[in-house]
Amino acid sequence: MSDDIILEFKNVTKKFPGITALNDVSFQIRRGEIHGICGENGAGKSTLMKILSGVYPWGTYEGQILYEGQELKLESSSIQQATEEGIAIVYQELTLVPSMTVGENIFLGREPVENGVINWDRLYAETGQLLEKYNLEVRPQETVKHLGVGKMQMTEIAKALSENAKVLILDEPTSALAEAEIEKLMGILRGLKEHGVTIIYISHRLNEFFQIADSITVLRDGKVITSQPTKNFNMESVVRNMVGREMTERFPKGNRNPGDVIFEVEDLHAVDPDDKNNEIIKGVTFNVRKGEIFGIAGLMGSGRTELVTTIFGEYGKITKGKIKLEGKEIIIPNSHEALLQGISLVPEDRKRYGLVLNQSILKNISLANLDRFASFFRIDGFKELKESIHFAQSLVIKAPNLEAPADSLSGGNQQKVVISKWLMSQPKVLIMDDPTRGIDVGTKYEIYKIMNDLAEKGIAIIMISSDLEEVLGMSDRIMVMHEDHSVGTFDTADATQEKIMALAAGVATT
Amino acid sequence: MENTNVPAKSGVFSEISKRLQVNLQTYALVIALIVIWGLFFILTKGLYLSPQNFSNLFRQMTVTAVLSVGMVLVIVTGNIDLSVGRLAGFVSVVVAAFQANIWHELLPGQPLILTTGLSVIVGLLVGILYGVAQGYIIAYLRVTAFIVTLASMWILNGLILLITVGKTIPANQPIFSEIGQGYLPNVVGWLLAGLVVALLFFNMFSSRRRKVKYGFELPPFYLDLAKTIFFSLLVVGYVFYVNKYQGVQVPVLILAILAVTVSYISSNTRFGRYSYAIGGNREAARLSGINIKSNIFKIFILMGFLCGISGIMLASYVGYGTIAAGTSYELIAIAACILGGTSTLGGEGTIFGAMVGALILASLTNGLQLMNVAAASVYILTGLVLVVAVIGDVYLKMNR
Repeated sequence: MSDDIILEFKNVTKKFPGITALNDVSFQIRRGEIHGICGENGAGKSTLMKILSGVYPWGTYEGQILYEGQELKLESSSIQQATEEGIAIVYQELTLVPSMTVGENIFLGREPVENGVINWDRLYAETGQLLEKYNLEVRPQETVKHLGVGKMQMTEIAKALSENAKVLILDEPTSALAEAEIEKLMGILRGLKEHGVTIIYISHRLNEFFQIADSITVLRDGKVITSQPTKNFNMESVVRNMVGREMTERFPKGNRNPGDVIFEVEDLHAVDPDDKNNEIIKGVTFNVRKGEIFGIAGLMGSGRTELVTTIFGEYGKITKGKIKLEGKEIIIPNSHEALLQGISLVPEDRKRYGLVLNQSILKNISLANLDRFASFFRIDGFKELKESIHFAQSLVIKAPNLEAPADSLSGGNQQKVVISKWLMSQPKVLIMDDPTRGIDVGTKYEIYKIMNDLAEKGIAIIMISSDLEEVLGMSDRIMVMHEDHSVGTFDTADATQEKIMALAAGVATT
Repeated sequence: MENTNVPAKSGVFSEISKRLQVNLQTYALVIALIVIWGLFFILTKGLYLSPQNFSNLFRQMTVTAVLSVGMVLVIVTGNIDLSVGRLAGFVSVVVAAFQANIWHELLPGQPLILTTGLSVIVGLLVGILYGVAQGYIIAYLRVTAFIVTLASMWILNGLILLITVGKTIPANQPIFSEIGQGYLPNVVGWLLAGLVVALLFFNMFSSRRRKVKYGFELPPFYLDLAKTIFFSLLVVGYVFYVNKYQGVQVPVLILAILAVTVSYISSNTRFGRYSYAIGGNREAARLSGINIKSNIFKIFILMGFLCGISGIMLASYVGYGTIAAGTSYELIAIAACILGGTSTLGGEGTIFGAMVGALILASLTNGLQLMNVAAASVYILTGLVLVVAVIGDVYLKMNR
């Protein structure tokens, strides 16, 4: 590693009406290093990246950015210019066209053209070379929608790299990946580093920084708190810098006291409703007690989400097995019935499944519960507002008021809105599908506390998580899924990350 | 954690911001409308805003504006209905056929009031039944609304031909004509204005009472009062001005009742709120326990009902049913919604906005015709205005 600086921020300040997103930010990134940037949601990471990619062009912020010793002046708000300069970004949300092939996606917008016609042979040949050079195991002719999330990510990286990028920015690349895929990504990034690419790595998963980053910059409230080589940090000091307070524990100790079994699933089998031959759940058995947090672990694609959406009445068609609530068998044909029975689902991917983004916080919270505010056919708006305020207050949703649209909130607050919505329906069983994905450490902690509170009040919580530490830290018992069936259930006291991974990967049986 | 700022003030806050934010777009539209009126006022040397033309202007928009009332909700749920013009046309010829011939044969010598009433019922039934059929196919058989309603245009074309056999059917019988052409006596107009003003005040007080009941802070009294007085003045002013011609127009009254009712339904009932949620995020709505199919089914039934009313008004307004009845009205209805801020992507749009949009379109057409501008130019100008308005809308949204 040299002291050759490729990118330097000098007193960068970016203001929005009423808020200073970046406040006098100065730090340096050395050529060829992997530089981790962390901070809570709203700390200014995204703003920083938007400046680097030209979304906020030169002149809309104060201060300077030096790139290769010259001031970087991105004038158009399209990412075109940044790309030409050699700065490439892989966004948190994947930006591929699902119906196109890997090659088409990588060359989208700059297809090799001869006499006005695309030269497909050259396109696929060059894609192949690119993928080979960086060791990305994807086939150029594969259609993107048939790829798993991990391979989509690789395609996305290849797309960014194909511009001869000198600086590659990855915005939370692992939030959608399971552990095994993360390992692979780490390998790829190390490979890129060997090829001389400088990498800026943004993530909420702090342990990744210690695996891969050479330096870490911590942002908080728009300011650089510290920017140092990784060896000067440990996990606690990073967290302390991020939240500005001591975090003695990542997972709050609750005072949970699980009672009797309230919810049972016995040997559940289900098929895809559009394709009766495709069995999507191949035998799942578990039970959950009142006031318990029951974790479900497993790799992406192990059938976890399919299981809970089927239980919720909105996905698979059950062919065998039983679901029992309070000892009585229940049949749930749709989500409406699930709600009536007292089962709620905080779905994965809040933007896609949880929120109506253009609507207000108020309307989002009350959406699933309008029956309660409607007399005859009219909705009592004041009653609705009053109850919604109650939940917004008890979950501490940070927003100017309840009329603010959901898409103006940070990820953590959006998730609180989704949770509020499902709590309002007064569930007996609350299913949470990856509830803390893409949320900063501080808000995660708050959500854990909310979960503890709910469990202490006697609600049975089923939590799916891709984060093994989270599963171990929060659950009373843990069920592991592998290839669409349950392969074992542990008491958390007996469980270790290794045991769970071995089961989830199918290399061990109980 | 230490943050408790959120909802402490949100009672007041949300009320005021609700009022101010209503929609930048809506304000822009109202201003555009005033500019258009002012322009034509000058160009026609005052003729444009004479009581007679003013009255006609509002009357001219009613048939398509009734379609826009339903179209807003159709588009809000992420659907489209291309059949509304022809369905209204079909209803108009059916009603005309009953008026002109069928009642004479079935119920000879019955009082006009009875046959007119029955004609209205027949018209509404035809609209509703067609809405039921179309809605069922779209909602439950999951065929795209665009395709189903496009096909409907042909089917309805055929049905219209079948009934008219290419001839014009008169529908200018007394009493029936009142629906589209009638005016309320001045006294009734004033009574109506009085009633609306009373309702506005009642609404203001009852809303304040309910706020107290739920423990929300009240907005300053003068603010509520100013708002109520403003709307009261609008109503009174309108009645005053149209009374200078022949009085409150019956079709405008029908439109106003429909617009207010459906607008109320859209924001204060589950059906309405679900419609916006479905258009905003179908998956989130589904997982929230909303029955999407039944909701969309109902939307198309409502649309059919409104086509029924529009068709009856059309027959009465023009005084006959013809093969061309309702042709391309769907375009005007959709344009009014888009102009009024309804998002083609679904999830956003208000009936109030669509009504202003409809009024802008009617104002343009009326003004240009008054100036004897050639039909070709009227079409071209109207098209340009629509495009410019949408560009302006995109621009406003970007700067928000």
